[in-house]
Amino acid sequence: MLLTRKTNGSAVQQSRLAQGLNGVLAKTIDRRSFLKRSGLTAGAGVAAVTFGSQLPFSMIGEAKAKDDSSGKIEVKRTVCTHCSVGCAIDAHVQDGVWIRQEPVFDSPINLGAHCAKGAAIREHGISHDSHRLKYPMKLEGGKWKKISWDTAYDEISKKMLEIRKQSGPDSLFIVGSSKHNNEQAELLCKWARLWGTNNTDHQARICHSTTVAGLGQTWGYGAMTNSYNDEQNSKSLMFLGSNAAEAHPVSMLHTLHAKENGAKVIVVDPRYTRTAAKADIYVRHRSGTDVAFLFGVLYHIFKNGWEDKQYIHDRVYGMDKVKEEVMAKWTPEKCTEVTGVSEADVYLVAKTMAENRPGFIIWAMGQTQHTNANAVVRATNIVQLALGNVGRSGGGCNVYRGHDNVQGATDLGPNPDTLPGYYPVAVPGSWVHWAKVWNIDLDWLKKQYASEALMARPGMTVSRWIDGVTEKTENIDQDPNLRMIFFWGHAPNSQSRGSEMLEAMKKLDLMVVIDPYPSASAAMFAMVRKDGAYLLPAATQLECDGSVTASNRSVQWREKVIEPMFESRTDHAIMYQLAGKLGFADQFIGKKDGKQNLRIVKSKSGDEPILEDVTRNETNKGTWTIGYTGQSPERMQAHMRNMHLFDVKSLRCKGGKDALTGYDMTGDYFGMPWPCYGSPTIKHPGTPNLYDTHLHPMDGGHTFRALFGVEKDGINLLAEDGIANKGSDITTGYPQFDHVLLKKLGWWDELTEDEKKAAEGKTWANDLSGGIQRVAMKHGCSPFGNAKARAVVWNWPDAIPQHREPLFSPRADLVEKYPTHDDVKNLWRLPTLFKSVQQKAVKDETHKKFPLVLTSGRLVEYEGGGEETRSNPWLAELMQDCFVEINPKTAADRGIRNGEYVWVSTPGINPGGGNPRLKVKAKVTEGVGPDTVFIPFHFSGWWQGQDMLPYYPEGAAPIVRGEAVNTATTYGYDRITMMQETKTTLCQVAKFQA
Amino acid sequence: MARMKFLCDAERCIECNGCVTACKNENEVPWGVNRRRVVTINDGVIGAEKSISVACMHCSDAPCMAVCPVDCFYRTSDGVVLHDKDLCIGCGYCFYACPFGAPQFPQAGAFGLRGKMDKCTFCAGGPEADKSDAEFKKYGRNRLAEGKLPACAEMCSTKALLGGDGDVIADIYRERVVRRGNKGAEAWGWGSAYGQPPKGGVAPAAPAGGKS
Amino acid sequence: MIRRLLVAAAVLTLAACMEVEQASTPERQAGQTVRRDTAAWNNEPLANGPKWSKGDRTSWEEQIKKRQLAQHEDRRIYQ
Repeated sequence: MLLTRKTNGSAVQQSRLAQGLNGVLAKTIDRRSFLKRSGLTAGAGVAAVTFGSQLPFSMIGEAKAKDDSSGKIEVKRTVCTHCSVGCAIDAHVQDGVWIRQEPVFDSPINLGAHCAKGAAIREHGISHDSHRLKYPMKLEGGKWKKISWDTAYDEISKKMLEIRKQSGPDSLFIVGSSKHNNEQAELLCKWARLWGTNNTDHQARICHSTTVAGLGQTWGYGAMTNSYNDEQNSKSLMFLGSNAAEAHPVSMLHTLHAKENGAKVIVVDPRYTRTAAKADIYVRHRSGTDVAFLFGVLYHIFKNGWEDKQYIHDRVYGMDKVKEEVMAKWTPEKCTEVTGVSEADVYLVAKTMAENRPGFIIWAMGQTQHTNANAVVRATNIVQLALGNVGRSGGGCNVYRGHDNVQGATDLGPNPDTLPGYYPVAVPGSWVHWAKVWNIDLDWLKKQYASEALMARPGMTVSRWIDGVTEKTENIDQDPNLRMIFFWGHAPNSQSRGSEMLEAMKKLDLMVVIDPYPSASAAMFAMVRKDGAYLLPAATQLECDGSVTASNRSVQWREKVIEPMFESRTDHAIMYQLAGKLGFADQFIGKKDGKQNLRIVKSKSGDEPILEDVTRNETNKGTWTIGYTGQSPERMQAHMRNMHLFDVKSLRCKGGKDALTGYDMTGDYFGMPWPCYGSPTIKHPGTPNLYDTHLHPMDGGHTFRALFGVEKDGINLLAEDGIANKGSDITTGYPQFDHVLLKKLGWWDELTEDEKKAAEGKTWANDLSGGIQRVAMKHGCSPFGNAKARAVVWNWPDAIPQHREPLFSPRADLVEKYPTHDDVKNLWRLPTLFKSVQQKAVKDETHKKFPLVLTSGRLVEYEGGGEETRSNPWLAELMQDCFVEINPKTAADRGIRNGEYVWVSTPGINPGGGNPRLKVKAKVTEGVGPDTVFIPFHFSGWWQGQDMLPYYPEGAAPIVRGEAVNTATTYGYDRITMMQETKTTLCQVAKFQA
Repeated sequence: MARMKFLCDAERCIECNGCVTACKNENEVPWGVNRRRVVTINDGVIGAEKSISVACMHCSDAPCMAVCPVDCFYRTSDGVVLHDKDLCIGCGYCFYACPFGAPQFPQAGAFGLRGKMDKCTFCAGGPEADKSDAEFKKYGRNRLAEGKLPACAEMCSTKALLGGDGDVIADIYRERVVRRGNKGAEAWGWGSAYGQPPKGGVAPAAPAGGKS
Repeated sequence: MIRRLLVAAAVLTLAACMEVEQASTPERQAGQTVRRDTAAWNNEPLANGPKWSKGDRTSWEEQIKKRQLAQHEDRRIYQ
């Protein structure tokens, strides 16, 4: 391949740079020069192949944009779609063409800053040489064939109804998307239910499901407690399982600012990452031993009396039990045995965190994608509770979410176990509540499901859909196997056990991919099938409006930048149009009894619902639990127009009115981070930092949520005396508010007559008037009660977090001491293996055949499965090969040299026989220890050494293709949430031989 | 009078490549031509890894200007070093002279077949009429003529890359260096490019051997 | 032709000692053969961009220096 050659030109450049850098470069290995990114021949070669034409020699580029001096230019304000930071972008649009992109210095979140992806986002709007899917296609006789939308809808719906008749609604699995905006996510959640199944899920499952569960069970809400901005108020920042410099680069603006003001930055990671390069303290631990490390830290905190005793007494349940266990089980020597970290380093981390309060622990996939990730997350929470670091500005658990709207899609979207706002499917009241908000007949809805029992049973998860297809029917907890799958904005290469996914694809009756870049799924499918798949081109989030929730829970409203390109249609248009073919269009738009929730407009996508109606009439009317009720489109849009009024450190508006609407933003926090309780008219400002009792609820203050009762075995679960929001009329713990409590307190008559009617018999979470919330907050109380956080979660298999060795552990000697869970016969409708896999690996001595830990992670240029970003030439040029980071010693032992191709094989299952193996380039670096190798997860398009180009729809293959690490990742799921294990498995690396 | 300069703060640069794609986006630079790039030294070496964004520094005594056989370079009144592609013969001398590896050639090949040289213009276009199609096609955007600064510096994710008037840059940088206790006081490349540290005296002189 | 040779010699000298040669180029800058560029401030500001008075260098520079503070997050943070 041309791409692999390094030219004279770049070699000379290298030497010039080396001189400029005083020779330091000569003895170093740079990731990018190693990966021949600046090869000129390579560039020309690629241009010839992918762009169709050579570029003129004397010109730097073909003008695609127009001169500014002609035609009217409109400026549309949108938000970057590439991660959860929420960077604002001003798009300059002329005659419908996106010609320029300007930084938004006014944004309090990014202050104009962008990473490689954000700064390259305008490429979305360039139609020339686009690698998107341009029209609907179907697989026919092994070839991708262009079809019309009408044909696609007709054929898909016919097939769906036919299979539904044979096997029932649960034969369908819908993988939704964390890239949908809030409105589309809410609509897709509804769409799946109107079809009659809970078999729907999205990226959050394999991203932060363990975080959401762990945080939620500890103190009530499963979200990032504070904001990126609030890091500027902190004194220490520990990154455990986050490489923010590559995954959330703009967040580092706040982190580095904090550091320059004296905050200590600690990075704990098996890899020396770009983030670690900016740390004061770097600690390398063995992948998958986070609980042991955290409890090792906690040991020193307790031993030296650094815990916040008053805080623990007032606001934490069960810390005494944790202390007992930690002091007995996690002595320095045991911690070192498991983690490989010296006692001195663990002590230093504990001391630094204790002496520099308030502080954050920051994490992402490094904590969450493990078989015991629920325990890792809770151990983190416990350390922060011990230090008194939660519920205040400058301290907390900053969970960096991945996709731009993974927070919003988790809150509102297609989840197998909850309706929008975390109303559980298992509770009948949830269905009553949402049927009312959606304006649909609950009895009709019940009939859509196979049975009321299945309606109340959480569906399968995206991490396991392949087993839903291939598992023996009698072993699964629903009647049929899965026969149809919708990938509605999801990359297949982001799921583990890729080689086994092919087997599932072989068996499917129907696969529908709805995506601007559906090609990874398409190519995989076409590799093993002749027919049975449809590809529908979806519009991007830059081609529609809608709201998006950043990681800090701020909700921002995007303006539509351009019309959907080519024949693509918006996701909500596709949902509505397909619902029409499947017979639930009226229910989808809430049309009943002369009322209609969502108006329909004609657009380039055909008929589509108005998204503002979704916000106003459904999200604002129904999601009382997490407070998506106060952020009306009008308020959000006013914030977007007036970003300069919001303070960077506090996110608060000191004063100012929106010129267009006259709306007074004084006191609002930017984007009204949820919970933003009550109706928009009461002007709750949003909650910048969760559980912060130092503020009045109407100033964004709150308590820990009373979600787990008022006492446990005689011990008080509510907050102790003196702990309440500032200005609270109740100065001790209290339960959740409902009509009874309001009456007891004598506050009932503060409701209006209309509110009384709506609130009678209701709680704060299902009173559709919002009156209970309003009155509670008026009295300085949090509607959800005032309780303690739980260090002990008695309702989970591990009440106190336990270290458990990964299923494929390099330390077989520790497995007996720290075994994984027992197998579970039925978890999320599927049998799930733990111990049997782990024990077989020990028995087979897998760790001897595969002695290296394989971990995976992010690169700054790419996002998620990577098809979209690898189709963007400005990004693709920066990283043209998939690679494996390998320590010099490990490489030398195997005779591997830098830049060579190697085979990385794992103990996974290759349905074709043997173990899966990946052909990647070796990047020899000390960034990983001798026992660990790292592969980025954004690649797809190669299959165990073969380029899959012939299987892509023509013109829709990404520029850069490479091995997907997940082709080779192994079995392993979290005991609570079914999170997949992608961060710790075993592998062997060998020299490449064809 | 404004004197345009770049400064990359190695204590802040995280090699996110935002500057690189901002440049590609704003100037529509084709594949294979890298007006700006980020270099990481000691990649993976604990405690020693540093990243720096590099492009044409628009030097005070620009070596490229000195060696150009056809005299195609000129300096604007804001101190931006530009060149005329109509005059450029693609000989590559500037490339050998440049301490920053800035000049780029869209076509590889033997000596004399390099094509016209291309490099960072400080988003100031070139000698064609300002903001014209011709200027954009040959040189890219003219942000200075729009009252804006280079896209790379304006979009830098951590505000590590500063671009604009040298005095203002020095002020910003000095504040930062003082706040973090003189760490990273030496602004990389300033000695080579401008023959002086940022004003204010916090930075030591360029290290010996900086101009080998 | 002679000029070419001189330049070639200069390149060789540069390799040995760049600093000296750098200083010896003023006449080359003075005798520019390239077309001159319009000064940035002699442009009309864009409808949706920063504003200055066309032809007024000082107003352009003031505007540029003000805009430059966007690269200084402290000014936004402690505004």
